Amino acid sequence: MIVKDAVCPFCGCLCDDIEVEVEGNRVVAVTNACELGMTKFMGEKRMKNPILRDGNRWKDITYDEAIRYAADMLLSAERPLLYGWSGTHGEAQCVGVHMAELIHGVIDNTSSVCHGPSILAIQEVGHPGCTLGVVKNRADLVIYWGSNPIDAHPRHLSRYTRYAEGFFLENAFRDRKVIVVDVRKTETANIADEFIQIKPGGDYAVLSALRAIVQGKVDTIPRTVAGVTRAQLVRVANLCKSAKFGAVYFGLGLTMTQGKYKNIRNAIELISELNRHTKFTISAMRGHYNVYGSNEVNTWMTGYPFGIDFSRGIAFYNPGETTAVDILARKECDAALIVGSDPAAHFPRRCLEHLADIPVVQLDPYPNATTAFCNVQIPVAVTGIDAEGTAYRMDGVPIRTRRVLSTDYLSDEEVLSRMYALMQEAS
Amino acid sequence: MKVTLAMKPMTKGFIPIEAESIVPKNFLSGTDLSVWRGNRELRLDEAFSVSVEGSADRAEDVEVVLSGDTCRLKRVGEYMDAGRITVLGGIGMHCGNFMSGGTIEVHGNADGWLGREMAGGTIVCRGDVADYCASGYRGGRKGMKGGTVEVFGRAGDFLAESLAGGTVVVHGDAGDMAGAEIHSGTLVVHGNCSRPAANMKGGSCYVYGTARGMIPTFRKVGTVQHEGRTLIQFTGDLANRGKGNLFVKDYEYLD
Repeated sequence: MIVKDAVCPFCGCLCDDIEVEVEGNRVVAVTNACELGMTKFMGEKRMKNPILRDGNRWKDITYDEAIRYAADMLLSAERPLLYGWSGTHGEAQCVGVHMAELIHGVIDNTSSVCHGPSILAIQEVGHPGCTLGVVKNRADLVIYWGSNPIDAHPRHLSRYTRYAEGFFLENAFRDRKVIVVDVRKTETANIADEFIQIKPGGDYAVLSALRAIVQGKVDTIPRTVAGVTRAQLVRVANLCKSAKFGAVYFGLGLTMTQGKYKNIRNAIELISELNRHTKFTISAMRGHYNVYGSNEVNTWMTGYPFGIDFSRGIAFYNPGETTAVDILARKECDAALIVGSDPAAHFPRRCLEHLADIPVVQLDPYPNATTAFCNVQIPVAVTGIDAEGTAYRMDGVPIRTRRVLSTDYLSDEEVLSRMYALMQEAS
Repeated sequence: MKVTLAMKPMTKGFIPIEAESIVPKNFLSGTDLSVWRGNRELRLDEAFSVSVEGSADRAEDVEVVLSGDTCRLKRVGEYMDAGRITVLGGIGMHCGNFMSGGTIEVHGNADGWLGREMAGGTIVCRGDVADYCASGYRGGRKGMKGGTVEVFGRAGDFLAESLAGGTVVVHGDAGDMAGAEIHSGTLVVHGNCSRPAANMKGGSCYVYGTARGMIPTFRKVGTVQHEGRTLIQFTGDLANRGKGNLFVKDYEYLD
């Protein structure tokens, strides 16, 4: 059986033109997807049933036992942490927020270690953004700043920018200029019309210089700024001002380097400045397929996009204090529920040391690095493969992922709902 | 009146305690207050050994002395308007948030957000302060609006972010982005710091040491004499059409 127009649950591009060939209960072929997406669709070796740590070995347990364990663990905790959420659908995230409120815990999603700083900057100065379709059809200048789509979002270039047709561009490939800004010459830099190589940690200075140059204050700028010559900055500023429609896409090279959200704020303020001359937009290259969704769900349910602390019964938000890395590094939680992410593969060692000391339950289809820290792991259906639900693309467009095959696995939403029901009974 | 609160050792020692009730005026009506450890409410005497000497009719005459391991005690002195809090050791995050009067003295180190959005009063920290000392809240346009913060040790990153009034003095070094987005008020760093006064709109920032990673969009005006020191004066941040003044003894661009 061939499933057409399936939605790829890998990166923030959320490509919705995938064809998946299914035989029995297995995906045997995938067309249109990039290598990352294909690998996800073809994924094998899932965990078969929930497991419980029993001394030095794992013991098989039933879903009921696993769900009961998780509910009891969270109910007895004084400061439970509910982390992850970007690798699951919106309906499950919704249950997660209700749960955090009920047990007075802290709920945080993976944006606190990726584009959280982008959100902090947006909260300071707003977001002049647009959907990917607008960029595809109108943009004659695209800037990738601290992002490397060839490796991380492979189809971004072919669906929306470098290699895409544009309704308002006669010859998109010729008319659309691409600028790459990075600390090293990446694969994406090789296909750019202009490459700006910045010294590590110099993004903020370069952005400030560009803002001043766009305002015509060239004289004050030193001859080189973080390894970039003034002449190149002036040339790039002119390229931007003469574009009909420019779009900036930034990645973790900007959000997770020195200055963090101030880099993004500076970039957004550069875009505001350019909008005095022409039309310009800026957007984040979101990583997980539904990390944008976790921000959306959290925001419309609690008012805040991530790092929400319900300890006192009301939502309190303060990244740096109520975010997972900070809480774990300071040993401030006493139980953790991990859903749809793999913190052990990404968090600093100090965080993992605390994760090893507290009870941890994880919902994940596969054994991963976090499994080593778990007391219980509950395998679930994969959203977009054997579960369906809503995800938000990197530009904020909600897309319903489809189920391409049927299995007996429960979805994240079903497992969490049962957990939540037990908690409601108990409290 | 002197209220002494000696922190009891906690079984779950790492979970922070939120104690916004520890404000001098609250002790005028007794010590029947509560604090929160995670999601559990505790009576004040469950977390502290409480002793009260003397009596007072007004908050100005109340001194609260905190002793023991208070490094994870958050929000002490929040919305304080008079009186005195003395912390003999270190203090946790958000000490003196929104305070408008009185004095807080911390003998050890202070954690993040010391004196966040304060409007008046005095905070003195004898040790080091972590990030966001005398700063604003996430997404807020204005940080500290008045009062004085003096730190004798070092300061972390984002010191006096969005400063909109008052004076902040740090005797040691400060971290990255000291005085980012200053609107008005005065920031003085006696040591070195990195990228001071980024995107400043107004106000004054003094660095008596070296400004590393100097933002390239400040215009050099000349040298000035300031309290016996010769400093180089800049105006900016030009990127922000700012009219602030940045004075540094020495500076290095990331070129």
